Amino acid sequence: MAASGAEGLPGRREGGGGEAAVLRGHEGAVLAVRFNGDGNYCLSCGRDRTLRLWNPHRPAHIKTYSSHAREVRDVHVTTDNAKLVSCGGDRQLFYWDVSSGRVIRKFRGHDSEVNSVKFNEYNSVVVSAGYDRSVRAFDCRSQSAEPIQIVDSFQDSVMSVILTKTEIIAGSVDGTVRTFDIRMGREVVDNLGHPVNCISLSNDGNCILASCLDSTLRLLDRSTGELLQEYKGHTCKSFKMDCCLTNTDAHVVSGSEDGFIFFWDLVDASVVSSFRAHSSVVTSVSYHPKDACMLTSSVDGTVRVWKQ
Amino acid sequence: MDEGDEDYVVYGTPIEREEETSARKRRAIADAGQLRALPPWKQEVRDEEGRRRFHGAFTGGFSAGYYNTAGSKEGWTPQTFTSSRKNRADVKQQSIYNFLDEDDIKDMGGRALETSMQFDTFGFTAAELARKEAEKEQEKRPSAIPGPVPDEIVRPAANSIGIKLLMKMGWRQGRSIKDTHADSLYESRREARKAFLAFSRDKDGPELAEIESSRSESEKYPERSDDIFGGTKSTPVYVLNPKQDLHGLGYDPFKHAPEFRDRKRSRESRDKDRGNNKTGKYAPGFGIGALEELDIEDEDIYASGFDFEQMEVEEVEPTKMIGDSWHKLVDRKRGSMLSFKVASNSDYVLERFRPPVIPADFESRHKFPTTLESTNKFPELPPPEVPPPEDNNLRLLIEGSAAMVARCGKSIEDLYKEKSKTNQLFLFLSGGEGHNYYERKLWEQKQKRGDLGRQNNTKSMKSSDEKMNAENRGKVLGERPLDRSSKASSLSVDVKEVIHLQSNLGDTFIKPVGLSESLKPFKYDPAKQERFEQFLREKYHGGLRAAQPFITNIMSETDRARERLDFEAAAEAIEKGTWSKEKETDPLSILKDLPFINDQRFVSSTEVEKHGVSKDEQKVIHPKREEFEWRPSPILCKRFDLIDPFMGKLPPVQRPRSRMDSLIFMTETIKSSKSEEAIASTRDSILLSHSESKETEKQLITQETDAEPIAADVQRPVDLYKAIFSDDSDDDDADEGNSGHSTDPVKTNEGANMTLNRLVAGDFLESLGKELGLEVPTDKPGPPDKPPNSILVEAASKGDINSSSVHEKLTSQHEEFDRPMEEKHKDNISKSADNVVTNLSINQNEESKPHSRHQRSRSRTPDSDSSDDYRDKKRKTHSRRRRSRSPSTDSSSDRHRSKRNRSKATHRKRGTTDTDSSSDHLYRDRSKSEGKSRKRSRHHKHRRKDGHKNR
Repeated sequence: MAASGAEGLPGRREGGGGEAAVLRGHEGAVLAVRFNGDGNYCLSCGRDRTLRLWNPHRPAHIKTYSSHAREVRDVHVTTDNAKLVSCGGDRQLFYWDVSSGRVIRKFRGHDSEVNSVKFNEYNSVVVSAGYDRSVRAFDCRSQSAEPIQIVDSFQDSVMSVILTKTEIIAGSVDGTVRTFDIRMGREVVDNLGHPVNCISLSNDGNCILASCLDSTLRLLDRSTGELLQEYKGHTCKSFKMDCCLTNTDAHVVSGSEDGFIFFWDLVDASVVSSFRAHSSVVTSVSYHPKDACMLTSSVDGTVRVWKQ
Repeated sequence: MDEGDEDYVVYGTPIEREEETSARKRRAIADAGQLRALPPWKQEVRDEEGRRRFHGAFTGGFSAGYYNTAGSKEGWTPQTFTSSRKNRADVKQQSIYNFLDEDDIKDMGGRALETSMQFDTFGFTAAELARKEAEKEQEKRPSAIPGPVPDEIVRPAANSIGIKLLMKMGWRQGRSIKDTHADSLYESRREARKAFLAFSRDKDGPELAEIESSRSESEKYPERSDDIFGGTKSTPVYVLNPKQDLHGLGYDPFKHAPEFRDRKRSRESRDKDRGNNKTGKYAPGFGIGALEELDIEDEDIYASGFDFEQMEVEEVEPTKMIGDSWHKLVDRKRGSMLSFKVASNSDYVLERFRPPVIPADFESRHKFPTTLESTNKFPELPPPEVPPPEDNNLRLLIEGSAAMVARCGKSIEDLYKEKSKTNQLFLFLSGGEGHNYYERKLWEQKQKRGDLGRQNNTKSMKSSDEKMNAENRGKVLGERPLDRSSKASSLSVDVKEVIHLQSNLGDTFIKPVGLSESLKPFKYDPAKQERFEQFLREKYHGGLRAAQPFITNIMSETDRARERLDFEAAAEAIEKGTWSKEKETDPLSILKDLPFINDQRFVSSTEVEKHGVSKDEQKVIHPKREEFEWRPSPILCKRFDLIDPFMGKLPPVQRPRSRMDSLIFMTETIKSSKSEEAIASTRDSILLSHSESKETEKQLITQETDAEPIAADVQRPVDLYKAIFSDDSDDDDADEGNSGHSTDPVKTNEGANMTLNRLVAGDFLESLGKELGLEVPTDKPGPPDKPPNSILVEAASKGDINSSSVHEKLTSQHEEFDRPMEEKHKDNISKSADNVVTNLSINQNEESKPHSRHQRSRSRTPDSDSSDDYRDKKRKTHSRRRRSRSPSTDSSSDRHRSKRNRSKATHRKRGTTDTDSSSDHLYRDRSKSEGKSRKRSRHHKHRRKDGHKNR
């Protein structure tokens, strides 16, 4: 199944490699899986209202965090691995202590489901994107549960948010990727014309990969806003699915609604590799920050670890 | 045994005997008698079994509790009071059971709520009851095992041993006992398949194979269960009419309307069928809370199902089979009960016709071969040429009447005919002599008239057509305009004609506007052009407005308004003669210049083409980039460790109240700074010329009053206490130095005002201060050069002291007085470092100039020291300014005079145009409340002293 030119990519191969582990435990769809900062651990969350901390390399289930009252859609961990933030159907952000497994704070403010959440570089602010067409920032250091910033210039549900040192970037179903430059006080709107499902930042920080609901991934140059490349072949029409770039920025990875994983060459947009990873929708892919290792999660309730 | 207990060593726990318990009872009673003799604090309360325990209120009565009272050692403690404001006391549902012992409850057992045997469907309570009965019996009759039989030993049998045995042999619920051929066949087949799969499983792809196998199995499964199990099942376990409604037992809502029963049942079964596929798909394994309602969020959107669902299929097998049979039963029932059955596939298919293909050469407007009139009135061939009758008179008459009839129509002919009945002269009309000639003449005349009026006729026809032309019709019918590129020219001609006609028609009534062909800005939309011309006519000549313009009913009010604006713009352009110039450039540029054209609801085909092109271009443009201003909140910037790009700038949106304040302050700041500048320029001259003193005094006081709010602005909003204290400390120092007790009231009043201002101004002040601190250039003279100024004025008005020396003396005095206060301020400064820094920078800016000027003698320039020390000094001067701003502080000896002057100034000021009413008001207020505030100030002083002590 793997095409030529897929050397160095995790996935199913003819001789060895491929799937390294299956992390089972979620009772129901796994909606997101994320490596932590150094890639030694991973977190998954799902429809069973729990977050699970795993060691994907051993593999071992370490801890379950359950306090959510509805499905958990996204999770992010601080760089020092001390705190978690998660969001989901219950319109709140949960700010967790990793070791004790207790909720430190719940950030209210969103009027609807929260799709995505991220810590900033200093782990002092949590920025979340919600179905209520807004991006909200919450202060982790204050006692207040109210947002310190509300960005509501979006026309439709905001699906994904990523942060850089100085910017908040968010992709919305209204077809825009909006970059909010805190330093400059500017909002840059890149209208892609198609609903944006997920955005991902390249490791060099110069490009944004936007997964659109017309089954196309689009690579944007951040400085000029021009479209660099389009990646097609997978199916992404109705579910919230993740996309990402590999650690070397050489390939683009995305799941597909038929359970396949697709690898594209970044430059010439050819499908380098594709294989069936799950029996159902691949909801999330996460690539190891250093090694050729990848996590995929699916509606079939499993998280799979793929290695070279 | 009672007596000799002590002598025996007992191993294990003795089994209590009935006699023994009764013996203990007896002893307890005896003890109770004994107890009565004991003093109350040694008495122990025991129950009838001799156990030491409290009694319930209902049986034990007062014998429980402390010393056989109902109280406790602490006495009777009422329920603790909980404020219902913060945490509401949870309402305790008190029932009788709260006050009962278990014994009591047991006694009351008969009254407890239980399911009566009658309605005990599942026999559970019955079993329970039977067990209880057995226990009671057990108590009554002696047995080998004394006491009640423990539950662990005796258990109700769940299944009969026969069923168990059958189950062990492979029988399952719902299956017949006989071993059928089909069953065994299936088993063997299944075994074979399993073996085969195990054999064929690939090492490389076990996962895939597993998936495949599970899939294939699940695919084959349903048919298998149908054809094999269908035969073997014997006793399907189901309840024929399970009670699923909410009606009372035995109530039949369809008693008198049996026809509805079938409908309901069919609907239910349909729901059930569908529910398996669609609605029941909630994420497995977890329900939702009782308080949350099941909504769309809980639906499983990943409808394709799960791995484990497939795995579960095998276990669910029997129940599923039951379900199948149930469905079948329902189906059969439905079939028999209903006279009509819904066909699974009907041959009635909704036919859909494609829209008719309009030929490319189709013209939307019918073209008549001849004029309308001729086709209507002269379908027949022209009558043959007839020689005129001999009678010349008759000929003339015929010709005249023919012309008349031709001009005026058939009615006149009828009229003539009426007349001709009596008059011989007109017999030719009704077929008499010369009728043929008349016919011929009439035709000729009509032809002639037709030729003449053809133009007009076509025009009128077109104008009537205009009301419903192709475009309009297309609009009404929602047709897409055809591609008319081939006939674009003809169309344009038509349109031109129409427009021309319209204007011509208009010209007959109104003086022509004189729109040349080039001056038609809305050529591509004739309807609009027409409206435009109508508009022009109305505009220039005040023509009558049509009661119901025929297009406007399609347009909304806003569209009309927008169009009117467009028209006005276009008319203006035409007037200026710019339109024709614009027109010469390519039409696309006009399109760009007139964005409103894009908004029009219906565009002709050429327009559509253009739009299509532009849309394509837009698509190509994606991704499109736009940039806006965005204001991050300061705290966000702080958390991101970035400098707020909007720091110091006024927030764009504020609470309305504070905005009002800000507006007021803003104007005042500007005003005062201006006046200050003017004053600064004349200050030197003031020093010299005493004669001008009154004038300048007035000015200064005006300025002073103006400056008041600014001073408040510049202050960092501190809390009320601090503000009052610092003011008071100022006062105190001044009092000691100047021995002016009477200065207090005004000052404190002022202080109160200031704090009030601060509180009211709130956030705005800070931001304003920041803005000033950032943006105001350093050499800009700030407001707070009041104190020296006013001092100077005083000195000048006195006239007998060297003003400069006085000034110096006074400043040095102030310097001294301020010293302790400065120390105090240091605390504040160190406390709120950030804000103070910004604040001070403002002060610095504002004060730098006067400071440098007036303290030149001390050879200190503000620019030279920028250290903290300097800041402190700034702060100091700042506070001095604040203090001396209140006029009474300056020199107590001259207080009366200055007051008089002030009031004078106020009066004068009222006369001047540049009256600042608010400051004026402030003054009046102050003078009014002077007496009152004296008291208050004293109070403040005391408080301040207390504060000192506390510190």
